[in-house]
Amino acid sequence: MTFLRFAWAWLTSGQQWHGSDSIPLRVAQHLGYSGLSLLIAALIALPLGVAIGHSGRGAFLIVSLANIWRAIPTLGLLIMMVVYLGFSPLTWLIPLVALAIPPILVNAYEGVLGVDPDLTDAGRGMGMTGWQVLRRVEIPVAMPLIILGLRTGAIFVVATATIAAEIGTGGLGRFIIDGLASNQYDQVAGGAALVVALALLVQFAFVGVRRLAVPAGLRQAGRS
Amino acid sequence: MITFDNVTKRYADGTVAVDGLNLDVPAGKTVVLVGPSGCGKTTSLRMINRLVDPTQGRVLLDGQDVQAANPSVLRRGIGYVIQHTGLFPHRTIEDNIATVPLLSGWGKAKARTRARELMDLVGLERAMARRYPHQLSGGQQQRVGVARALAADPPVLLMDEPFSAVDPIVRASLQDELLRLQGDLRKTVVFVTHDIEEAIKVGDLVAIFRPGGQLVQLDTPERLLGFPADRYVEDFVGFDRGIRRLSFFAAAGLDLDVRAVLTRETTVAEATQVAKGIGEQWVLVIDAERKPCGWVALADLESAPETATLADLSLVGWGHTFRPDTDSLRAALDATVLSRTGRAAGVDADGRVVGVTTYERMRAAIQSAEEAAVERQSGWQG
Amino acid sequence: MVWSWIPQNIGQILQLTLENAYLGVASALIGLGISVPLGIACVRWKLLYPPSLSITSAIYAIPSLALFVVLIPYTGLSDATVIIPLTLFSLCVLVPNVVDGLRSVPEPVRQAATAMGFGPLRRLARVELPVAIPVIIAGLRVATVSSISLASLGQLIGVSSLGYFFIDGLQRDFATEIFVGIAMVIVLALVADVALIVVRRLLTPWQRRHLPPAPPSVLTPASASREMAEVS
Repeated sequence: MTFLRFAWAWLTSGQQWHGSDSIPLRVAQHLGYSGLSLLIAALIALPLGVAIGHSGRGAFLIVSLANIWRAIPTLGLLIMMVVYLGFSPLTWLIPLVALAIPPILVNAYEGVLGVDPDLTDAGRGMGMTGWQVLRRVEIPVAMPLIILGLRTGAIFVVATATIAAEIGTGGLGRFIIDGLASNQYDQVAGGAALVVALALLVQFAFVGVRRLAVPAGLRQAGRS
Repeated sequence: MITFDNVTKRYADGTVAVDGLNLDVPAGKTVVLVGPSGCGKTTSLRMINRLVDPTQGRVLLDGQDVQAANPSVLRRGIGYVIQHTGLFPHRTIEDNIATVPLLSGWGKAKARTRARELMDLVGLERAMARRYPHQLSGGQQQRVGVARALAADPPVLLMDEPFSAVDPIVRASLQDELLRLQGDLRKTVVFVTHDIEEAIKVGDLVAIFRPGGQLVQLDTPERLLGFPADRYVEDFVGFDRGIRRLSFFAAAGLDLDVRAVLTRETTVAEATQVAKGIGEQWVLVIDAERKPCGWVALADLESAPETATLADLSLVGWGHTFRPDTDSLRAALDATVLSRTGRAAGVDADGRVVGVTTYERMRAAIQSAEEAAVERQSGWQG
Repeated sequence: MVWSWIPQNIGQILQLTLENAYLGVASALIGLGISVPLGIACVRWKLLYPPSLSITSAIYAIPSLALFVVLIPYTGLSDATVIIPLTLFSLCVLVPNVVDGLRSVPEPVRQAATAMGFGPLRRLARVELPVAIPVIIAGLRVATVSSISLASLGQLIGVSSLGYFFIDGLQRDFATEIFVGIAMVIVLALVADVALIVVRRLLTPWQRRHLPPAPPSVLTPASASREMAEVS
């Protein structure tokens, strides 16, 4: 396993763990970029997606978004930001947030839209106001898809944060890009190994989030 | 209690769902709205709790126009049961039932206690309180739906085809359950169905609708079966309405024959004499506790030794019995038709024979019941 | 924007577009070739499905750059280094769509086919797969668009694609080049998307008879957004 040999060699040599280019620092940066972007994207996309799904209007917007979003090359977007904004935090923040919004938005929309109309009818019929129906019925029932949207957004954000190293940010992508530039494959391998580990850890974290946030009755009943 | 005052519902594309509806739902009664698809019965129901608003006319609840009330507040005072239950999958059974009390501000403990009381009321085991809807059968889910509607003890209950999605056996038991509940609670119930049999079984009053949202006839089930207003109602009610109507006449009106009932110790000679004396072809044999043993034919009596007792002879099975004190003429007729001898034994609560009926006696009872009904009808119309 | 740059470099633009197209389309098609049998197997042997989903989801979560790098010792800096990870990504979208598509065949239809004498293989080919085509193509559209976009990242490890314009444009601080790169990727992706819609129409003539708007059903996903929601 050539790759692992290289990665292991690099990871176990002590200097990687200290100093200004250290692994802990890069991990923290990567999580920072990802977490902040995901948070901002969620703050924008969740209310929007829930609102559009609840009212049923604006579907055309969602469909157009779904078609175009995946086509946009992330590297190109990042580099275009550099041209306009130079090297500032917004340079990476805007593309990361922009890329995380569609999956969160679309899944929240689909989740709320897909709530069995009998449930909202029963809720209204029992005397819930529009807000109460949203809070007590639609959002809980839509939770599996909402979480899925956040998890998908997380995947894209972590991946794009990796590539962002090309435009000079920190994060674990730094090791890969620098290693490629200086032909040091062990650094490249080590960086890649860390990225894989981080990505999988983030996914595990979401499994935990799902367990916490999705009401028990929905989990066994299967996905809506 | 609930009044539809010339209510019309017209949609933007021109379809008229409800056309000039005038209907009174008396307090404490079950009124069933029945008709084919597109006849406006569900739309009418949903105008009571303002899920639909009328284009013209008013709906009054206890004399008050429902338009005057805040919709959410109004609905919390009205129970609402729908066909596919609409149980919240993300809530336990007890939390589902407790929904309206919790909405109205009851504490969680109080609401859950109430939920469990209701589970008892609708016949659900308390052990199920913490389960989730998908773990229950269709019939059980419907019971939860009814319990949920009754949780805040509303005076009015709206039911929109609540039992249509379950199989016939479960449906029958749910209907019985509803009748039992109504006997205890006396809610004002408005019930929508497309099944005329269900309407007749469950309703105190039945309102038949025509496609296009017109009310054609509002009557008791018995009068509906006996005196349909027009051809449409007659067709809708079904072809054997005469016989079905008999279930509204009491079997107590039957004049039962007590002479053709003899004990096992009776000798063949005595039996033959009795049978010839009353002019009957069959005699019912009973035991010491007056329980039926079977029928013996006059022809068999004549060919048997005179000194033998009825206990020695082979008997024809007594078939189905009926209860003259609680059953209807329809049950009595059914028992008579099913019997090989054309006669049915009427028994009491302990199974002891009270008397025997024949086709002739049935005919007489049906005729007098009919005459009484016609008199009532003209009195009612006059 | 320096518009004149475009005609001056049209040769290079077209060549890189073609190379990017090759990388993206090849990945999606190979992915299809793997996921159809795999999906059929998952429908046949239900226990196979959850682990298949878990593994493809896990791989999908890994940034493409990291996967390119992992393969370098084995496949060098060749097209395969890019195609293999993109193919694996496409599985995450395609396998669920194949499974859902096959499962969407109504049971009465399947039973009628069996009763008429279709053996399992022929039933699959003549009845089940055709019914599943719209759902499968919906997944293929997502996979193709994603693969084309991701293929541009191959340039980071030196595999020739439209990503070249991004990196070169960054180094030269030349906005026009970057724009052209982005535009070509998007155009390529949309062309592929439309082509697949046409393919779907051709393969499912029975659906063309429905007057628009067709009622949403499992066979015709009501919105493209549903495809996005399927990805886990």
